[in-house]
Amino acid sequence: MTNPAPSPSPTVPGWLNSYGVVWLGAVCVTVAEIFLKRGAMATAINHGFLPGFGTSALASGWTWVGILVYIASFGCWLQALRRMPLHLAFSLMSVVQVLVPLGSWWFLGETIGLYRWCGIALVLAGIVVIAAPAMRAEEQL
Amino acid sequence: MTPAILLLCCASQVCLVTGQLLTKHAMNAVNLSPVPWAKVSGRFALGIMALTLWFFLWVGLLQKKDLSYIYPFEGISPVLIVAGATAFLKEKPRPRAWLGIGLIAAGIMLVSAS
Repeated sequence: MTNPAPSPSPTVPGWLNSYGVVWLGAVCVTVAEIFLKRGAMATAINHGFLPGFGTSALASGWTWVGILVYIASFGCWLQALRRMPLHLAFSLMSVVQVLVPLGSWWFLGETIGLYRWCGIALVLAGIVVIAAPAMRAEEQL
Repeated sequence: MTPAILLLCCASQVCLVTGQLLTKHAMNAVNLSPVPWAKVSGRFALGIMALTLWFFLWVGLLQKKDLSYIYPFEGISPVLIVAGATAFLKEKPRPRAWLGIGLIAAGIMLVSAS
């Protein structure tokens, strides 16, 4: 065993353990990305003061809501980083690779083809491979 | 995908990975006793700067492409993060973690090809 299992914090509710903050952070990232995309679409015809940077998107309220939700996700992320190795936390956060396309499809009307669904399934399988043994180890503590 | 978009994707990934490594480096120090706040704040500020750069590059990309098209390119970051955490933070991922990361990377490539 090369890495210690993430330790639960006695000061937070049970569902908000090391993994709970990662999942909550992932949901926040998904919501934030959808808001950012709406803000970016609303301002795509404008050019910001730095070419290649999306500074003109700051003119949209959607972008600011997205930024606020991103800040919330960052708070969850910092809590996760305090409790588990970066490689584990970041791999688990890859669940956003599933949630964001689903959110894009559901809320933005973007299309998802067969290959994309297969890719999403592979990402999900990878997350399960990484998360399942570590989550079992935490439950046994 | 045009070379300019690819370049912006690569630049955003470099900023993201650098920011995450610096942030984790800072949070590792928070767990020390006593907490070396000067080091923590310095690393944290640099991490936030890198993540802010990533954010604006990312929003710039969102203005040009569909979210579901561009998002998979963020997906190479787990591989880069694990490599960076192994090299710079001395983390030691288990073989099972590498298998999972391989599956995630394969899934992301499939999504990108769609």
